[in-house]
Amino acid sequence: MFKTHYKLERYSIGLAIGIIAVASIGGIVEIAPLFTIHQTVEKAPDMRVYTPLELAGRNIYIREGCYACHSQMIRTLRDEVERYGPYSLAAESQYDHPMLWGSKRTGPDLARVGGKYSDQWQTEHLNNPRDVVPESIMPAYPFLTRTELRIDDLPKHLATQKELGVPYTDEMVANAVGDAYGQAAPDSPQAEGVKARYGDATDIRAFDGNAATVTEMDALVAYLQILGRLTDAAHKQEVTGGIK
Amino acid sequence: MTGPAHETLVAIAKSWGLFYLIALSIGVLAYTFWPGNRKRFNRAKNSIMNDESGPWE
Amino acid sequence: MISTMTITERQIALLISVLVALCGIVLAAAGRHDPIGTHGLLILLAGLAGTFFILRGYYDPEPAPERLTSYFDDPIKVGIVISMIWALVAMSVGDWVAWQLAYPDLRFDGAWSSFGRLRPIHTTGIIFGFGGNALIATSFHIMQRTSRARMPDQLSPWFVLAGYNLFCVLAVTGYLIGITQSKEYAEPEWYADIWLVIVWVTYFVLYLRTLARRKEPHIYVSNWYFLAFILVVAMLHIVNNLALPISLGSSKSYSLFSGVQDAMVQWWYGHNAVAFFLTAGFLGMLYYYLPKRAARPIYSYRMSIIGFWGITFFYIWVGSHHLHYTALPQWVQTLGVTFSMMLLIPSWIAAANALLTLNGAWHKVRDDATLRFMTVAAVFYGLATFEGSFLAIRPVNSLSHYTDWTVAHVHAGTLGWNSMIVFGAFYYLVPQLWKRPRMYSPALVEVHFWLAIAGTFVYVFAMWNSGITQGLMWRTYNDSGTLAYSFVDSLIAMHPYYIARAFGGLLFLIGTAVGAYNIWMTMRTVPTVIGTQADRPVMPEPSRPILQAGE
Repeated sequence: MFKTHYKLERYSIGLAIGIIAVASIGGIVEIAPLFTIHQTVEKAPDMRVYTPLELAGRNIYIREGCYACHSQMIRTLRDEVERYGPYSLAAESQYDHPMLWGSKRTGPDLARVGGKYSDQWQTEHLNNPRDVVPESIMPAYPFLTRTELRIDDLPKHLATQKELGVPYTDEMVANAVGDAYGQAAPDSPQAEGVKARYGDATDIRAFDGNAATVTEMDALVAYLQILGRLTDAAHKQEVTGGIK
Repeated sequence: MTGPAHETLVAIAKSWGLFYLIALSIGVLAYTFWPGNRKRFNRAKNSIMNDESGPWE
Repeated sequence: MISTMTITERQIALLISVLVALCGIVLAAAGRHDPIGTHGLLILLAGLAGTFFILRGYYDPEPAPERLTSYFDDPIKVGIVISMIWALVAMSVGDWVAWQLAYPDLRFDGAWSSFGRLRPIHTTGIIFGFGGNALIATSFHIMQRTSRARMPDQLSPWFVLAGYNLFCVLAVTGYLIGITQSKEYAEPEWYADIWLVIVWVTYFVLYLRTLARRKEPHIYVSNWYFLAFILVVAMLHIVNNLALPISLGSSKSYSLFSGVQDAMVQWWYGHNAVAFFLTAGFLGMLYYYLPKRAARPIYSYRMSIIGFWGITFFYIWVGSHHLHYTALPQWVQTLGVTFSMMLLIPSWIAAANALLTLNGAWHKVRDDATLRFMTVAAVFYGLATFEGSFLAIRPVNSLSHYTDWTVAHVHAGTLGWNSMIVFGAFYYLVPQLWKRPRMYSPALVEVHFWLAIAGTFVYVFAMWNSGITQGLMWRTYNDSGTLAYSFVDSLIAMHPYYIARAFGGLLFLIGTAVGAYNIWMTMRTVPTVIGTQADRPVMPEPSRPILQAGE
């Protein structure tokens, strides 16, 4: 009695093992080589990491589900390159945990939106999109200007990213709070440190027009303004390599 | 890791993936059309038609 | 619920509830400055509710040993009810955000009511709330029947059901307060993901233990599909959700993967969630309930086996077709297309098998709305899988990707295939489980059917039109060789389609509400007609006159 019972049990586990074996191969074959891909893709030695403020802005972008309507991946198609700029390279999102390539363009692609509009435009647009684009169907985010940004836990964010392989230095981690504040308060003593750690080209501005407090609007606009500008690799590629 | 590792991985993926696919298809077809399995399958497909009487002891 | 459990099971259940409550306290304390604290309180509440519930019924008499001679159907009933509640909630939210796309200010003044936060409530609520509970309920039903065995214990089915719904509630409430890891269809954060793994392992073990008790020598093919669903979803869920939380007192985590790897892992997950959550398990339903309702065995059992291994093997490769023309290496994209094409074979084998089963029983399809739900599901399954393979072709995808065409495709699958087969299964199950001769109102089943069909068609046609229009406008050049339309131009062109889509969704939602009412009334109304099958004590009566006549 018990013997048949065990046999039957083995039988269903055999089926389960078969399913796993059959279903895992495809994933292994397609995904495993991608972990060695850094050997083949273009390098971007000039690429910098997100500043603490930009990273906080990126997390607001994630929190509000912006990725549901905006892609950040310009495909190698002529009309996309003409509409949005040079096609996206793998290197450009190498530090993006997680990536935000998106799957739907209810609104336009944002991979290279950085620098395309002024801070004031971005702030007004986020406050109420229909103030600047009457036909827009994007939700309004007036609370971003009203909400002070949480910066006290930013060192933990940077440290976690560092552990995952993003090249943050210990100094960057240690100064994350001051850097987040300084980037949105150009006249503060902390502003200089941001330039020293993240480069002279870093945007240091009162993004929402108010330098007194660091708001979620500051962070989100700082993030939008850096999109596509962490490295020049894509623009260089266009000159030398052209479109595939 | 050095340069060739990626190429090797890709090559393995491309070749063995195909062999695996063929072997698997043969295996599944053999199991499905194995004459000895006919009775078992016929029983299975008809057995669900009358299964509300409760668990068998 | 509690009275179905033995005393030992009640004690274990009590222990689990207290443990859950303790976890809630720890999270609430550790995350008091973080959104995770709110979830800690929610978990604490869930644990306390469980504790209270068990204590209230703790001294109820133990279930009689005769229970072992019948199937354990109580969790199935509860699962059906919960599934319908999720359907109503998630479809309402879906239709609300659909109207928001036509009228963007149709919301309350608050962060929680924006499209970006509500949309994952719709997707999670439908896929995991409605679909997941339906899968769990029907799998409990099918595994017992096809094995001719009762589930091995009374606790684990309740744990699976309650634990799974705790996960779903954590997921959707999290989006409202801004907790998400942004991975589409895998938005819940690390602690909810870990909880789901525990629940899922219990589910898998429960399934294997039931199969191990089976008295049928062969495992019926529906169970294969359900096993593939459970196993592969576990694999996908664990790999895609690998992440490092910034601290144990924070909801925020960062994915282990970045950039290209993350994109590939995400769409390997994303497409196989469609394959193994929305296809494999639902095919399990189709292969059981369609033959049962039509009272004809499946056309070809062999086709179902070939289809099974084909789907299990081919599907896993195709996720990369979500990343055509992106920074993903081209050979991976090509593999994705190739397998997407081959996938059509097992998909159509399944659809054809279902329709051939009905050959010779078309009059039943005409007269019986329940069977018609299942038939339409099989047809839409065939259509949606064809469309899927078509959209995977690179040039087609260059037009369709990022547009509403994808939305049309997804909804042809979810409305036309998944929802229809679930409703068909529920209309078959409800009278049987509640021991009623039939549904409360067969006429309302008809009404539901036609509302669902009309809603699906309006929705899908609106989105096909808008998607193709969008795709073409984005790539149209004028005579001087520059792009003819701005993005806003394409947005304006979408407006009428978005209204039509929201209207189609509304029709479907009303149909679901009608169905929920009908199911509710079937449960509540005890049939008054004497002598029906449901009226068990009367059953011996007819034999008496015959006896007398013989004397």
